[in-house]
Amino acid sequence: MSRVRYRSQSRPWLSRRKVLALAATGVGVSAASVAGLSLAGENGSDDREKGKPLVLSLRDASEGTFDVFSGEKRLTITDKKLAAQLLKAAGR
Amino acid sequence: MSSHREAPEISKDPVADSSDLYAFVSPDDPDTVTLIANYVPLQLPASGPNFFEFGDDVLYEIHIDANGDARPDVTYQFRFRTELRNDRTFLYNTGPIESLDSENWNRRQFYSVTKVDSHGKSTVLAKNLPCPPCNVGPLSIPDYEKLAEDAVHRLKTGEKVFAGQRADAFFVDLGAIFDLGTLRPFQDKHLVGQNLFNYAGKAVNATDKTNVHSIAIQIPLHMVRRDGKKRVRGRDAGAVIGVWTSASRRQVEVRNNKNGNDVVVGPQVQVSRLGNPLFNEVIVPMAEKDRWNSLPPSEDKRFAEFVATPELGALLPVLYPGLFDNLDALNKTKEPRADLLAILLTGIPDGLIDGFQNNTGELQADMLRLNTAIPPAEKENKFGVVGGDLAGFPNGRRIADDVVSISLRAIAGATVPLVNADFEPDAAAALVEQGLSIKDASAGLLKKFPFLGTPFDGFGNPS
Repeated sequence: MSRVRYRSQSRPWLSRRKVLALAATGVGVSAASVAGLSLAGENGSDDREKGKPLVLSLRDASEGTFDVFSGEKRLTITDKKLAAQLLKAAGR
Repeated sequence: MSSHREAPEISKDPVADSSDLYAFVSPDDPDTVTLIANYVPLQLPASGPNFFEFGDDVLYEIHIDANGDARPDVTYQFRFRTELRNDRTFLYNTGPIESLDSENWNRRQFYSVTKVDSHGKSTVLAKNLPCPPCNVGPLSIPDYEKLAEDAVHRLKTGEKVFAGQRADAFFVDLGAIFDLGTLRPFQDKHLVGQNLFNYAGKAVNATDKTNVHSIAIQIPLHMVRRDGKKRVRGRDAGAVIGVWTSASRRQVEVRNNKNGNDVVVGPQVQVSRLGNPLFNEVIVPMAEKDRWNSLPPSEDKRFAEFVATPELGALLPVLYPGLFDNLDALNKTKEPRADLLAILLTGIPDGLIDGFQNNTGELQADMLRLNTAIPPAEKENKFGVVGGDLAGFPNGRRIADDVVSISLRAIAGATVPLVNADFEPDAAAALVEQGLSIKDASAGLLKKFPFLGTPFDGFGNPS
């Protein structure tokens, strides 16, 4: 659970762009459509979070409601098409 | 216990489990208040090679409400960071640790202190403060007391802080109490116990010789009072503060096992809370305990019914037949226990106890309420306010206060006359106790900050 820091070791964090890109690759969504998502409540980028991963959680598949966890924030987006593609990719 | 493993979920997450909270006007500096929040309970001292530590992924907070709205006016946040010196050894230390920067000490923790004001503005007060090591044993740490003293840090803003391992000073006969509510001194009067015993038993301190991890802070009183005054009168509303501690974790954790770098993101969510001792432990039903831990004190109105008609109050007359007849009669009236509602959820208003109040208004919230105008007692009474010592629990909480026995007496009816002059408590209500005192916490206490005793060492404990 704890994240021990080694003094001289760099952390191979996935970038936010990579996570989104991986999600996109996995479900066959174009990069353009992912980049077009608007994150409710996000006002500009937070430099402290650059290079760090984010996590998507599909809260309501029928409505296409996602929770996006980034840094210390939780944002909500709605994208029914992405939800359907993710469900298909997951075999559900 | 006070709050050791008090709820189903947090009992599985000891790093974030708050076990005790103390708040008292400092006897070593009466112009300050000392707040101590204990976490990581029930540590067996001999626990190498992975000795206990704070969670790097836990946000620890101590909150102070100065105006009675059950929302923090001042919050101190503590964030920890662990460093390894040597990634080629399995050992905690590779030689004696004689200083906080010893090259022999492999796994060290550091922390930052952040102060958050009532508007949510954060100010980092200190970074990279070293914790002391765990007390491995006398070969590894020849002078533990010196190391611990070096780990007391005075901040430029006036506070004093310490974070690290200490001996757990909480005393409780856990084994007896949770064996059908047995109090060993009265075991021969117990409904079931009278079939097994024909003598009074001697209580056992179940938490003796265990350690905890303590976060202690000593703050000038004017910095926590609502009006910033250095001197207040005991009757002033501004003399009273409400204190609680909480631990939070980020909402999402994805374990990826790549070099141990888990993904931890999202907002902080509260997983542990503690104000008054025993509140979640013996007042809140098991089905509600996890939810209680996730909520702020400002939501505690929803738990008031369990204070007004405490389950333990109904059990005492059953478990000890004939000893609590007056309490039994009171229970049958189904009148809400206004005395307990005041003690635990609003504070005791002026006029009920001579020279004392710790009321924060009508809002019901579980906070440890301390009247900061009451100086430390010259001679402490372990029964606190119930024993005539206004500087003790439930006026804040000192380390030596016998909060188990005080709570037992209050629930047994000893405090009902505060609000109902016609009620005569049972004789047993003034006598009931668990049969322990701070003397049964064998580490002893320090006379100065951080007050909790030297942690038991792994070489000698258990023995």
